[in-house]
Amino acid sequence: MIKGAFVRQWKKMAMIAFTVALGASLATAMLSVMMDVGDKVNQELKAYGANIKVVPKETSIIGELYDVSDGESVGSYLKESELGNIKTIFWAFNIVDYTPFVSTVAILDGNEVTVTGTWFNHHMELPTGETLDAGINSLRSWWSLTDGAFIDEQDDAERDVALVGETAAEKYGIKTGDKIHLDGDAASGDFTVKGIFNSGDEEEDKIFVYLDSAQDLAGLEGKVDSIEVSALTTPDNELAEKAARDPSSLSINQYETWYCTAYVSSICYQIQEVITDSVASAVRQVADSEGSILEKTQLLMILITILSLIGASLGICNLVTASVMERSGEIGLMKAVGANNQAIIALVLTEIVITAIVGGIVGFFAGCGFAQIIGNTVFGDSIEIRALVAPIVAVLVVIVTLAGSIPAIRLLLSLKPTEVLHGR
Amino acid sequence: MSLLELKDVSKIYGNLHALDKVNVQVNKGEWLAIMGPSGSGKSTMMNIIGCLDKPTSGEVWLDGVDISKENNKSLTKLRRDKIGLIFQQFHLVSYLTAVENVMMSQYYHSMPDEKEAMEALDRVGLADRARHLPSQLSGGEQQRVCVARALINYPEIILADEPTGNLDEANEEIVVELFRRLHADGTTLVVVTHDPEVAEVAQRTIVLRNGHVDHEHVNENFTGHIKYNEEAV
Repeated sequence: MIKGAFVRQWKKMAMIAFTVALGASLATAMLSVMMDVGDKVNQELKAYGANIKVVPKETSIIGELYDVSDGESVGSYLKESELGNIKTIFWAFNIVDYTPFVSTVAILDGNEVTVTGTWFNHHMELPTGETLDAGINSLRSWWSLTDGAFIDEQDDAERDVALVGETAAEKYGIKTGDKIHLDGDAASGDFTVKGIFNSGDEEEDKIFVYLDSAQDLAGLEGKVDSIEVSALTTPDNELAEKAARDPSSLSINQYETWYCTAYVSSICYQIQEVITDSVASAVRQVADSEGSILEKTQLLMILITILSLIGASLGICNLVTASVMERSGEIGLMKAVGANNQAIIALVLTEIVITAIVGGIVGFFAGCGFAQIIGNTVFGDSIEIRALVAPIVAVLVVIVTLAGSIPAIRLLLSLKPTEVLHGR
Repeated sequence: MSLLELKDVSKIYGNLHALDKVNVQVNKGEWLAIMGPSGSGKSTMMNIIGCLDKPTSGEVWLDGVDISKENNKSLTKLRRDKIGLIFQQFHLVSYLTAVENVMMSQYYHSMPDEKEAMEALDRVGLADRARHLPSQLSGGEQQRVCVARALINYPEIILADEPTGNLDEANEEIVVELFRRLHADGTTLVVVTHDPEVAEVAQRTIVLRNGHVDHEHVNENFTGHIKYNEEAV
């Protein structure tokens, strides 16, 4: 009977399936974009720089007590050998970039100048088999060159090269291609100026060289002052804020939830676990901006998803009710020959649910396509369809279909065979 | 032995007494015709006998059960188990074939059995039209499918509401002939009709007027024999 209903009422069923497909496709697209928008927005916001800064414990304490400026060494250092550990934490996949810094004051033509050693685009082979190119070339994406080129660790043959800030270059009359001589506390060296950059901040006063070059100048082999980390994070909630204040105040369940969620505080906590005597803290402005933008974007997506599902539900409601009214004679007959209400509801729901499943499957794949269109149009990148989207859409389709069928079911229950069979 | 008995049955809609203290008795195996002008209460009586409606007052005994006291669930079960319904407008499901329409009745009664459904269609002379949709059948053929559907579950009683109302004379003869055969097989028949020719072949006729049994007469010439040519079916 159901097969007959489908084969011979295919136009009506196709209309219901189309409505379900429309709702499911919008839900799939919006949910996919919503789940992936965090990463996409985060990637966009990486332009604002690192969102976590790691410093030695003593530096952090003294910094808080005496208001020592960021990055200024107070005689304690992190171990360079532990840098790779950052990509071994629970949320390693969310660490998209990081770079160490070691700063020293060197003498350039009788003047004191801050020389900072760092990674530019340092290539790392991780224990997990992954590779990562990390450094300030990507972490300081807003830097622009006024002359020359950025240092490329993988292509440049020469390692005694320097990137000079625009202010320092003007102050000391440095041009691209010049050879500068730097006298450090422990050693001295000649460096070729590869480029001059503009950053719009105090870093324009500095000269950037390879990490090991700065370590040689300062006599700090194997040591770094600080690490800046760029991580994909989940916006903080009450739990994250509580944990950020004191992780030991959490219950075991809360701790597990917090630890296994990519809150900036839990990532900081995990970094501290793998970098000896370190304090990792969120760069609040960046982290908060990310969270705020992400929350608003996700809220927008949720609202669109809900509205689309309500629309689909109303559409299904109208179509199913119209279908039941059209078939009232048939349903009245079924009741007359002995079908009880449950049997009729089961029959109608079976038809609707099978139609909805077909519509839902079509809608899901159409939604995957819509998500890619949205991703490419808005973010210039494809959207990853998470495995979780399919079951969520399936549940939503069932709920929307059942909700949309409620008025029709009420109508079915109220149908009296005597009335419909006698055309009253 | 009485299969169906209406005792002082009334059905009142507002100020309208569709049925007013009607008393009727139908014996097992009897063929009763109910006649009367429009608005006399024929269809109301059929609905009550057919467990599709309840009386406002009075008792309706069907096979030992007072159906006026039963709830909707029990009435549905009684309808399914004991009654076969035939309608003037046929009421076949448009997207089901003839045999599927017959099987639908089986589905809600017990289990669909295509072989048995085919046999029922064969009894009404439609075995060769079993795979046709109602729209591909003539009015007479549709009514015969309706008869096959009514008898498929071996009901205690078959209620036919104006079964020949939409048929031409030839098809009317065929349907009446089917009723003769059913009666000959021992089926109890209650047939509502406007047509005196259909009523006169029944064993007994009651005539309703304004919700009352106006009069009743027994067909003295009733033989129960098949009147029409068998080849007509």
